[in-house]
Amino acid sequence: MKNIFFRTVISISLGAIPGALGRYYITELAKSIFSQNLSYYGTFFINVSGCFMIALFYTLNEQKFKSLSPEIRLMITTGFCGAYTTFSTFGLETFSQIDQGNTTIALIYWLSSIVLGMLGVQLGVILGSLNSTSNYSDFLVNKPGFLISRKDAKPQSKKGRE
Amino acid sequence: MTLIAVLSISFGAIPGAVTRYYLTEFCKKYMGANFPYGTFIINFTGCLLMGFSFTLFQEIKDFPPQIDLFVRTGFLGSYTTFSTYGYDTLNLWRNGKQRATIFYWIGSAFLAVVGIILGSYFANFFIL
Repeated sequence: MKNIFFRTVISISLGAIPGALGRYYITELAKSIFSQNLSYYGTFFINVSGCFMIALFYTLNEQKFKSLSPEIRLMITTGFCGAYTTFSTFGLETFSQIDQGNTTIALIYWLSSIVLGMLGVQLGVILGSLNSTSNYSDFLVNKPGFLISRKDAKPQSKKGRE
Repeated sequence: MTLIAVLSISFGAIPGAVTRYYLTEFCKKYMGANFPYGTFIINFTGCLLMGFSFTLFQEIKDFPPQIDLFVRTGFLGSYTTFSTYGYDTLNLWRNGKQRATIFYWIGSAFLAVVGIILGSYFANFFIL
């Protein structure tokens, strides 16, 4: 397939459908576990876990999965993580809490979403960069690398890539 | 109902995510990659539309739930994004742009609520 537009649309769509459906079912689950008007528990979990996932994937992508095709990357990041998390529902739920007079709940929800979202991103980056010195693509380029020490293996693998 | 719900959400999620991608690329090309203009604009406009459609749909009697799922859960939910917002905030910080980071981080979340209020306000003009 040479049509870039078509490939892009297909890969984003394949990620967006499970993302949006996952969001819907988690929200419904939160409603059935807690109560009808506590759907923001679900959105909160979704946004924080989505932040963690995208950061984990981007970090692994930079450091380990170098051979992954751009379509798979689009499917996971723009498609899945993008459609799974939502900003509009977050705004709406904050507003409806203000509207119902629960200003404190609105403020807690608003602030903890953006703070824990950032913590999720940070956690994803930390977990993704664990063990990054022994990276998988270096191993592929320089197969006997695992027999010699990492310090010696590094310059060799750079040569291999050039 | 379940199959209809799944189809409505899926058909909304596809244009939502694709629009987000192309709008982000467009903003990167014409406004530069120094600041995540694309995601910023997307999240604000998405909240405007969410406030507008939420208020409007609530007022219409017997509004079909499939269209609500298609527009709000499918399209708007997948058009706006929290994960890219979080990752972009971290990247701004890593690039040493502290002021832009604070502006983007707090500003996006603040404008989300403002967008909902404005959208809801505009919807009142359409309700007789």
